[in-house]
Amino acid sequence: MATLRLNGIRKRYPNGITALHDIDLDVVDGELIVVVGPSGCGKSTLLRTLAGLEAISDGELTINGRRVNELEPAERDIAMVFQNYALYPHMSVAGNMGYALKNRGMPKDEIRRRVAATAELLGLSELLERRPRQLSGGQRQRVAMGRAIVREPQVFLFDEPLSNLDAKLRVQMRLEIRRLQKRLGVTSVYVTHDQVEAMTLADRLVVMNAGRVEQCGTPMALYEQPATLFVASFLGSPAMNFLPVTVHRDGVVLPNGTQLALALPVAMPEGRVTNLGVRPEHLVEAASRPDTAAVLDVTVEMLEPLGADMLAYTRLSGLEEWLVVRLDGAHAAHEGQRLSLTFSLADCHVFDADGRRVSMTEGAAAKAQACQ
Amino acid sequence: MSAPFQRHRLTPWILMAPQLGIVLVFFFWPALQAIEQAFYVEDAFGLSREFAGFANFQAVLSDKAYYQALGTTLIFSLAVALGAMSIALLLAVMADRVIRGARIYRTLLVWPYAVAPAVAGVLWLFLFDPTLGLISGLLGNIGIGWDHKLNGVQALALVIMASVWKQMSYNFVFFLAALQALPKSLLEAAAIDRAGPWRRFWTITFPLLSPTAFFLLVMNSVYAFFETFGTIDTVTSGGPGGATTTLVYKVYQDGFVGQDMGASAAQSVLLMALVGGLTWFQFRYLERKVQY
Repeated sequence: MATLRLNGIRKRYPNGITALHDIDLDVVDGELIVVVGPSGCGKSTLLRTLAGLEAISDGELTINGRRVNELEPAERDIAMVFQNYALYPHMSVAGNMGYALKNRGMPKDEIRRRVAATAELLGLSELLERRPRQLSGGQRQRVAMGRAIVREPQVFLFDEPLSNLDAKLRVQMRLEIRRLQKRLGVTSVYVTHDQVEAMTLADRLVVMNAGRVEQCGTPMALYEQPATLFVASFLGSPAMNFLPVTVHRDGVVLPNGTQLALALPVAMPEGRVTNLGVRPEHLVEAASRPDTAAVLDVTVEMLEPLGADMLAYTRLSGLEEWLVVRLDGAHAAHEGQRLSLTFSLADCHVFDADGRRVSMTEGAAAKAQACQ
Repeated sequence: MSAPFQRHRLTPWILMAPQLGIVLVFFFWPALQAIEQAFYVEDAFGLSREFAGFANFQAVLSDKAYYQALGTTLIFSLAVALGAMSIALLLAVMADRVIRGARIYRTLLVWPYAVAPAVAGVLWLFLFDPTLGLISGLLGNIGIGWDHKLNGVQALALVIMASVWKQMSYNFVFFLAALQALPKSLLEAAAIDRAGPWRRFWTITFPLLSPTAFFLLVMNSVYAFFETFGTIDTVTSGGPGGATTTLVYKVYQDGFVGQDMGASAAQSVLLMALVGGLTWFQFRYLERKVQY
């Protein structure tokens, strides 16, 4: 049982590239933190510094209040599940799972007992004598999990553990990991680039971009109140729509000159360019809201029927990007059709020119940055 | 139905012909000649010969010098193969860790392989020459008298050193390539699994290198048996008193110096059988252990 505290963690490489800028994060006991971001954002580097595979250039890392910066990976009492599983090919499943225990000098009987118990938990009992190459992808993934679990470490680190699995297995293993983590109650840090995986697994989510933490909080808090344009565009599938608008006396003006009578949540000087973000599910047909003043006239260019929903990729004149709308699955839309769309002010997110959310209360903004 | 490319029955043969021709002319033909010769007794001028059955083999196998050469060969081969492989592995592990200037080290370590066996022999001969040699001089200063021209053990040690030095580079290249092909994450996983550097090497790296090590063991054995001829010839010429006469050197001595073609041919047939048997043994018993 452990708490993990990152205090101003910085990683600089000898060639001058800074991979991590002052990362602050408090992980409470038993929590599952998911670090998510595009490739190259530094999330894997962060995990590797936690593991001790990369040296920390600056800042302090503590586990249960003990500074571990200078400790070897072996001394940190952590277990890591690698993206390619990193199973030892010349050892059986039992050998793989027992390796760390053997290195610790545990008696053979005790090792056998613990390996058997973990194998039981993961449904690997029949496979203990097999070699990794005789296993399927899902089984290998399970063995990698087992190797981490059997050690009963203070902290689990997961480095994109599901990205080598097919889609169906990924969903299944996602649930499995969630179930196991809750059951074992081990503090965990999980890195992924898949935002669906991130949303579904996390107790708290950390969104990273270019070596910095963009925002941190529960998945729903980040989804509903993204602190930056980056977080807003990264979370949610399909991604949020952004309308570049100019602030006007009676609301805002779209690039094509259309005026929308919207009272922005924060008073902004006239002429200021801002971004208005609206999620695809929050765009509705104007006919259903007779009282609305903000109407967007669009043309449907493409349709993606998903069964329960229908995604419409529509064109708003003057806008380069598509406006994506989530319609009802049974909607009779066809390509080339004209639609009038609207949204309510409560559902829209306003970002200023440097990508910060302007509609956020000060307290919420501070909380989003602190990661505590 | 056969795939379209399989219809061209002739093309593969034409493409393989040059290589097959070389193998047939330079390997199978002489080998068959040697086998044939082993059953004949020939006069010293090669003018007449007489079928002798197994007399040549009998003579060879009842000769004490032959067993001495066999013993020398086994000691020599074992020492060369183990020496060349272990030193190469050590150097490869160290070169693998070098980050700055790695390419220079690697190039330098590969160089000895480009030196001809006879030249390598001469280099070592000069270093250890009883009267002129640098190293023999240093050894003399610390009270070790070095004279491989009189001392059989020293002579054997010298040809082993020269042969190891020469073969080491070859092994180094293979070990280094194998080390660099090991997935880094395996060693990282082992580090997290509480294995220190020493344990990581013996429980992860070394077992994963075993296919390479097996391949090198076969190659080194063949090298020690056959290709060290040039080194031995320049350094000791098989002496003193036959102390460095390996089987292949004895084949040469009896056949080309002693002009006893029949005995020489019989020995080379026995040598072929020995190396063939050894290689079969290695594949049969050792290769099983290195699979994973």
